[in-house]
Amino acid sequence: MGWYEKAKHAVRFWLLRRLPPCKQTVEVISQSLERPLSVRERVLLKLHLWVCMWCVWYLEHLQIMRDTMRENASEPELDSPSTPGLSPEARERIKQAISRQ
Amino acid sequence: MSEAQVKAPNKSPDAGVWLDQHGDYLFKYASFRLRDESAAEDAVQETFLAALKAYEKFEGRGSERTWLVGILKHKITDHFRRTAREAPMGQEQDEGPEHAEFFTRTDGWDHHWNNEYAPTDWHATPAQLVEQGDFWRVFHYCLSPLPQRTASAFTLREVDGLSSEEICEMLSITVNNLWVMLHRARLHLRNCLQKNWFGHKH
Repeated sequence: MGWYEKAKHAVRFWLLRRLPPCKQTVEVISQSLERPLSVRERVLLKLHLWVCMWCVWYLEHLQIMRDTMRENASEPELDSPSTPGLSPEARERIKQAISRQ
Repeated sequence: MSEAQVKAPNKSPDAGVWLDQHGDYLFKYASFRLRDESAAEDAVQETFLAALKAYEKFEGRGSERTWLVGILKHKITDHFRRTAREAPMGQEQDEGPEHAEFFTRTDGWDHHWNNEYAPTDWHATPAQLVEQGDFWRVFHYCLSPLPQRTASAFTLREVDGLSSEEICEMLSITVNNLWVMLHRARLHLRNCLQKNWFGHKH
């Protein structure tokens, strides 16, 4: 490792020690999907993400998860034959209830 | 004109046919959100009964299924309100596992990601699961250890895209409760997906 790489490494470690740790950062990342963050929160998050690849991936994964769920929300999950439908007993019970109307 | 002809446009649908055509769909829709099969069966039954009573109002506008799903949504909301009244948010663990082990380290970096649980570069993506038709099965499997209310809140938010206010009102929880629930569900689901599907090359 060259001196520049070493220095960069040292700065990152120094910074990570002083920033809120990952455990708190992931809460802020989750809230960033729910509300606008304050300026202070945004700055601390940006700095944390600059030095922590794990939390960068965490944020990325949350976004991928949300996008996939919303894109596929409409029909396919429900019509898939692998999801069980009404049981024969429930079907019979409902049929009875309807015919009593 | 005979009576039968006058009544024809509004005649009641054949309930048996209805049940065959839409029963499974409505049940899947409800159990996906309620995460409780017997509650989902009740919601479907209530939907059909309400639909029979209100059939004149439908008058064949739009698709029958869309109309039925609209009624079902109300029944699902009613169910959430009822259970929320009966069992208000209590203990903190009602919100789901905290997963403190994800952030436990003994090398002086406690509260940072433990290597065993830390996010990695995913080799597969949810899109591939979608293509294989497995995504919702995996989703269901991963959410099943969570408390029912947390899994429901997560589904309403991430799948249906309802606003925080709507969900809080439906489940009778505060917005802080909701954020904690969503955070824990995300932590749990992401880890489950990585551990079982995306973490390593197949």
